[in-house]
Formats: sequence, C-alpha cells, structure tokens
Amino acid sequence: MKSVQFNVTSRLDGDVAVIYPKGYLNNLSGESLVIECGIYIGKGITKIVVNFSETDLINSIGISMLLQIIEDLRNIKGTICCTNMSKFLRDTFEMLGLIKHMHVFPVESDALKYLKAGKA
Amino acid sequence: MPLNTIPAENFLNREYEFKYLKDLAELKGNALGGNVFLEGARGMGKTELLKQLYRFLYWEDGVVPFYYSFKTANLKGTYFARDYFTGFVRQYLSFAKKEPAIADNAAEPLQRLMPVISSLGLHWLIDCIEDFQEHLRKNDFYWQIVAAISVPVVAAQKSGKPVIIMLDDFDAAERLYESSLGDAHGLISLFGESMRNRLCPHVITGSTGALEAIFTDHSLIGMTEQMRLGPLPEDLAAALFRAHLAHLKVACAPGAQLKFLDILRGNPLYIRNLAKAAWKMQKKEFTEKDLIECYAFEVTEGETAFYWSSVFNRYVPNASKRKAMLKLLMHSIENGGMENGAQLVMVSGLGEAETAAILEAMEVSGIIRENDSVFQDFIRCLYLKEIKGREARDVREKIELKYVSAGEESRFELVIPMSSNAELVVAKAVEQIGRNIHLDPDFLNYLQLALIEVCINAIEHSGSYEKKVFLKFITRPDKLEIIIENSGRPFSLDSRTEVPVEEKLRMGMKRGWGFKLVYAIMDSVKIERINDRTRVILIKNITDKEVLQ
Repeated sequence: MKSVQFNVTSRLDGDVAVIYPKGYLNNLSGESLVIECGIYIGKGITKIVVNFSETDLINSIGISMLLQIIEDLRNIKGTICCTNMSKFLRDTFEMLGLIKHMHVFPVESDALKYLKAGKA
Repeated sequence: MPLNTIPAENFLNREYEFKYLKDLAELKGNALGGNVFLEGARGMGKTELLKQLYRFLYWEDGVVPFYYSFKTANLKGTYFARDYFTGFVRQYLSFAKKEPAIADNAAEPLQRLMPVISSLGLHWLIDCIEDFQEHLRKNDFYWQIVAAISVPVVAAQKSGKPVIIMLDDFDAAERLYESSLGDAHGLISLFGESMRNRLCPHVITGSTGALEAIFTDHSLIGMTEQMRLGPLPEDLAAALFRAHLAHLKVACAPGAQLKFLDILRGNPLYIRNLAKAAWKMQKKEFTEKDLIECYAFEVTEGETAFYWSSVFNRYVPNASKRKAMLKLLMHSIENGGMENGAQLVMVSGLGEAETAAILEAMEVSGIIRENDSVFQDFIRCLYLKEIKGREARDVREKIELKYVSAGEESRFELVIPMSSNAELVVAKAVEQIGRNIHLDPDFLNYLQLALIEVCINAIEHSGSYEKKVFLKFITRPDKLEIIIENSGRPFSLDSRTEVPVEEKLRMGMKRGWGFKLVYAIMDSVKIERINDRTRVILIKNITDKEVLQ
C-alpha cells in the first residue's frame, strides 16, 4: 500500500477521455472522479477510459461512485473502459457484479484501440 | 491445626504482610492497628499466610495464635459454638505446652484435658469450660455462642497475653443458624465484642462481596483495615513452581522457559496444584508442552478443578441451579460480561426469581469479579462436560490444543478515532502485521478492504459518542482473527440485504456493499452485541496459497 494522496488527472485522446485516479478511492476521492468524468460528459464525450494503475486501495463507497459514472454514461449511451486493474481490484468488481457493466482491458492502449475502432 | 503448611522458604513475596501481622497484637495494643481483612483473589495465599503466621507465633511465646476455618464448619449454631470453644481450648493448651498433638486430637473430650489445665494453673479456663457446659445443659443457644466467641478474649484478659484470632472464610459466619437455615440472621455481629478487644486482633479472610455486607454491620464498622494480597511477580512465580517441582523430585528440561506459567497470574494455589499435577502425571524432564498438558489436566480433573467445584457447591448446593449457574458463567465468558434481563433468564433456563438468586450467589461468591483465565478454562471444561456431555479426555485435549497453537500467536491492539481516513491507519497496520507473518501482498489487499468496510460501517452508522474504534489482531500460523469493537447503535443485519447491480442502477441506490464484501472475503464473520457495544469478529484461515513461499 502506497501512501499517495488521492488525486485525479485526465487527458483527452481524440473523442476519448482518459481518467487517472491515484491513491485511495473512497467517498471524497470518488466524488472527484465523478466530477472529472462529469466535466467530459458535459462536453459531449461518451467514451471514457479509467486507468487504475495508480489506484492501490478502494472501498465500497468509492465503488459506488464508479457505479454512478457507469449510470451517467448509460444514460447517454456511452462506454466505460477500465484498464490496468490489479487482480485485487478486478476480483472485487467481479465479486460485486460490476464487471459486466464495463469493458476491461489489461492496458490503456488496448482500450483506446477498441474505442477508436468504433466497436463500442 | 494449621501447623501443616509449606516450608517458610517457599512462602514467597509476603514478607511485608507477614511482618505486619506478626506485630499486629502490639500495634493493636498501642491503638496503632486493629483487625485485618485479608483480601485477594481465590488461591492467592490468604489461608497460607494465616498458617505461616500461626506456625511462627506458635513456636514463639508472646502472642497466642488461634485459627478457625469456617470453610469446613458446621453452621448450626450449637455445633459451631462447641467446635469453636473446644477448638480454642485445645489450641490454647497446645500452645502453652508446645505440644501439637493436643490441638490435633479433636476426639478427646475436654474433661480429659482437665489435668493438663490444672497443671498449667489455668483455673479461669476451668471456669470457662464449666460455664460453657452449663449453657449446654440449659440448652441456651445464645449464651453458648457468646461464650464460645468470647473465650479467646477471656483468655487474653486473664493471662495478659494477646490472642490473635484468625477467622478463615469468615463470610460463612453470616449463615450461622439456630435450627434451620436463615432463622437467625445477624449472629455474626456477636463477634463485634471480641473484635473490639485491644488484646485480640482478628485477621479475617473471606469473599469480598460477602464481607462488604458484613462490615456495614454497625458493631464492626471502622475496626478493620484491608490488606490486599496480590499475585506473585513472574520471576517469583516461576521460582515457586520450580521449588515445588524440586520438592516433588520432578526435573525441568534444560532451558525450559516455562512461559506458559504466566496464565496462572502468580496465583500460589494454581502454581502448587500445577506442580503436583506434574508429579501425578509422572513427568520426568518437564517441558513447556508438559506444562500445557498438566494445565489441561488441572482445569479438567485436577485439584484446581476440584477446588472450583467445591466453591460452586458451597454457594449453589442444588444441582440443577448449579447447571444454570454454569450456563450463565459460560455466557459471561463468551460475551465479556453479563447483561441484564430476559436474555439471562433464557440462558439459565430458570425463572426470573431463580435466575436473580443465582446471580446474587455469584456476586456474593466473588467469582464473577475475578478475571481469571484459569477459572474461565475450568468453566469451559465443566460446561463441555456437564452441559454438552463431552468426555473429560476430549475436553482436556481441547484445552491443550487451544494453548499449543496459542503459543505461536501474536496479538496487536489498535484504537482509531472515528475520523476521516482513520481506516487507512488500520489498513496500514494489517499490511504490516501480514508482512510479519509473510502473507501474500495480494491477499493483504482483501483483508485491508474487509477491515476498511467494517471500520467505515462503525464510523458512519454507530452514532457513538465515544468516537473510537477498538481493534485487536490475533495472528496464528493457521488463522488471522480480527476483532473490531465500538460503542453506539447496534449493527443491523438489514444492511446485508443483497441488491444486484442492475437494481442499484435502476433505483439510483449505489451504496450497501460493505458487508457483502466482508462476508465474501473472510471465512467467518460474527457480529455480537455486548451491552452498548458492537463487536465484529473476522476470521481468515491461512492456507499455503496465502503465504509467500
């Protein structure tokens, strides 16, 4: 477990927003994630990649925030891809039945290729 | 007569108390001391201290020792009076002649001692005996008791030599009766006169619970000081155990640390019993493992078990009520205390009034005040045998197993405030604890998540004014146990109702996953309520795949 202060950074790659949550994903940090995604959704972006490579720990409130993003994208027929997840994170999402509501890729570039190929 | 006692050199760590009691007669004579109530957990050596004091005074000449044990006394008033009176006369003569046999021969009628009394010129004692026999002839209950209780005072006044009166298990005197139990309350207050006498310091032992009530008696208030006998320190406890083993000719294995002795908490009775168990079990080169084996025998079938059974029988003689008491005690051990009301009635299986009477007996006996691991193991064993019908051998093995694996356990405790991100401190702690026992880092992530969820639940929902979460981590080679406790609102199992993700999305309800995760991650999740506290016990079995190879 790294002691990283949570923060969210992002970038736009074509019509895809790539989000980088860092640190412990809980209620407060989860809200920042929702806000960050909301900004892109507000601008008409419907494809979002969340790169979890820097997320070391999560709690159920953080997970519920992720569910919020899934719901927001569903409402606009958008797509969410999750990448670079640890086995722990992936198993946790699986355990809760979340995995079937997202596209999971080992690395960010795979998700970008998938989205750019227009398969979503 | 209490001359049969352990060698003085094995009577450790009571030098201060012994010296004080030795000088008590002089202190009382100068109004600098009074009577002493020896307080201490059962087995702490109160009776032994009286016996040591008795032996010392017996072979000196300055103070007459008189010892009377209510533990074995017949509490019917007339029997008691005769026993107490003749007991004193015999011990007095024995002391005067320095002939232990006089005190030991309880069957010899007082008439036969008359020549000895005459030869010593104790004419006042002959008067006392004649007076007492006159009360017996007249069947005068009250005067028999008064005459018995006051004979040491008369002896002190006539001879000018102080008499130190040692009353062991004195609380039983509260139950003295005339012809049927409970028909003569307050006879104990007749000791007041004797206690007030400046030539007769009294040293009393008994249950604190019972004696607190006795000392509120007007005639006894303010005349008694308490002397607490604490446990032996670790090093002396080990030294005493080794000394007992040496006397019993049981050798210790070279380098045996005897760490397990700590469980006895420096209680001399337990230490002696355990040494005797080693001898009975014919141990040769005594090891740490032998210690656990002997201990399991002791709390199941040994002298310690017999001792506690006797205490049970004394306070609750009825067999079915004793079973109910056992259930209540087991409940108390498992839940860390007694709650009130309907639940206890349910546990005991008796009515409200009977349950209350048993609780009262437990309070008076003092057994629920004693946070004593040996006593708790005795209760576990008795419960398994008497309530669950298990064989003594099985029970013994169960206790052995418990401690053999516990020998390799580590415990950590942590208290966190109910504040933002405090759960991360817990996550960090479990990470380090896991590293200490070489757990796989991936596996640790799951443990962290489960713990975080329980802590968040406590922080968010308990409404605790205390604003603290208490955590205990117990690691064993095969198991990790985490206990999380907090005050406040009880945990509701409703929050465990499972809602599928689709439903959550449809209803806009995103929360309520915490305990689903906890249950999925841990092998066992127990939620208990103890008074105003919620306790969550998480257990994860550790198999090879969770350990770094």
